[in-house]
Amino acid sequence: MDPLSNEVSSIAENLFRHESGRLISILTRIFGTDRLHLAEDVVQESLIRALQSWPYYGIPQNPVAWITQTAKNLAIDLIRREKRFRDRQPEIVRMIEESVNPLQTTVSEMHDERLRLIFVCCHPAIPQEAQIALALKTLCGFNAIEIAKAFLTTEAAINKRLVRARQSIRRLKIQFEIPQGAELAERLDAVLQTLYLLFNEGYKVSAGDNLIREELCYEAIRLTSMLAEHPAGNGPETYALLALMLLNAARLSSRVDDTGNLLRLQEQDRSTWNQIMIARGILCLSQSAAGEGLTTYHLQAAIAAVHCAAADYESTNWKQILNLYDQLVRLDDSPIVALNRAVAVAEVNGPAAGIKAVETIAKSAKLNSYYLFYAILGEFESQLGNFANAANHLRKAHRLTNVKSERMLLAKKLKEIDSNR
Amino acid sequence: MSTQFMMLFRGTHWSKGLSPQEIQNALNRWNEWMAGLVREGKIKSAQPLVARGKIVSGKKKRIISDGPFAESKEAIAGYFLLEVKDLDEAVEIAKEVPTIEYGVSVEVRPVAPLIPENLEEFEILKHKA
Repeated sequence: MDPLSNEVSSIAENLFRHESGRLISILTRIFGTDRLHLAEDVVQESLIRALQSWPYYGIPQNPVAWITQTAKNLAIDLIRREKRFRDRQPEIVRMIEESVNPLQTTVSEMHDERLRLIFVCCHPAIPQEAQIALALKTLCGFNAIEIAKAFLTTEAAINKRLVRARQSIRRLKIQFEIPQGAELAERLDAVLQTLYLLFNEGYKVSAGDNLIREELCYEAIRLTSMLAEHPAGNGPETYALLALMLLNAARLSSRVDDTGNLLRLQEQDRSTWNQIMIARGILCLSQSAAGEGLTTYHLQAAIAAVHCAAADYESTNWKQILNLYDQLVRLDDSPIVALNRAVAVAEVNGPAAGIKAVETIAKSAKLNSYYLFYAILGEFESQLGNFANAANHLRKAHRLTNVKSERMLLAKKLKEIDSNR
Repeated sequence: MSTQFMMLFRGTHWSKGLSPQEIQNALNRWNEWMAGLVREGKIKSAQPLVARGKIVSGKKKRIISDGPFAESKEAIAGYFLLEVKDLDEAVEIAKEVPTIEYGVSVEVRPVAPLIPENLEEFEILKHKA
């Protein structure tokens, strides 16, 4: 920490974000889940101290140790001041002394604590949107402003969700523990569901800050990886979810061009797909095949894997994709899945069959306010050369979406059709 | 010939409302900037001040009060002691302070020599003009 040394240490990527999650898990074990907020405050304060000191002394050789030691000091100080801790004071101080030490905590202990916090945040009795907000705040170190940006809402609304989540934890007396036995399976389902939603929030193309949305995807992958590395969470379903995330995230950067325009699958530059993530995803997919169970995660991951395996759009194995969608619609009757299946139908059996498939869905589901319904119909009609019909559908789709990138893509298609007529 | 200048940083809570990523970027930029100054031998010393302390005053009876240190735009967060050619150079350095864009203000003051060597800071000049 000699300010006059020439050594420039730099900060590890996402240091503040990830350290915050790690330290909050450790302190929550010590303070109890009913005082989650206290753990958050101590960690927040130690990060502020870093910001007050590092600009003058330089970034320490070991920033993690610096922050940990500071959090430990602040926690002990707080325990000594707080009356309500008085009866348990020596015990808590000892716990802090023993456990808040990056050198003494083993990796597996650390993972234990993170996992416990995941189970607390993703408890099924907490409202889902509050779960996601809480996970982002405590586990991923996002602040309320960032979460608000990702969800297109206000900071106040996010803070409300966070308060509600913490109240639920207190009211339900959710323990800081990894559930066991039959409860584990049920709770794990809920955790996977929340992580899936978190990933989807980041992945889906909608308005909001793109960079933050990508971060959501990577954080979902990080948390799911943690789960997959732990004996309590390393089941086939977790690997299937992780595979699905990796195989989709690998293609994130190719979805838009330099100016932010959405690119269709056939227009994407496949050389920009992240091959390391694809390889990891394929590995996870093979690990997910361990059990009997076939979940929607398995099928979605397999579909993504087929796309990743194709060298170009033309060589995509649509038959295999259609087969997977046929299985997926049996497990998940959402019209969105059925719409996506219709695309595969059209690729295998031609656009007319695609239109038929879409019309079948339309009978049973309310899709007439959903832009993708018309966008897909427009695509099929234009493939058949029915440009007037196609233009009609595309204009409807255009009216139904507010997302700029989607509107631009539709406008581009409309222009293409006009030049064909 | 080089002279010493004090850079006083005011504003203790510049990071408020920033995301961890923004904070990280700001710190990295700060570190690079500072390392450059250190390499060029322009920083003699640098220290932060704790946002807590006392103010002692009173001509006859000493009055001790808590200063308005914490969370204040006015409070001094720390200082750099620079050794550079002249005030212009010191000001150029101050203009590059990465946290200025987050509301930190920087005061640049020449350190007075033991025996004054020039007239510019003296009232005499005003009489001449």
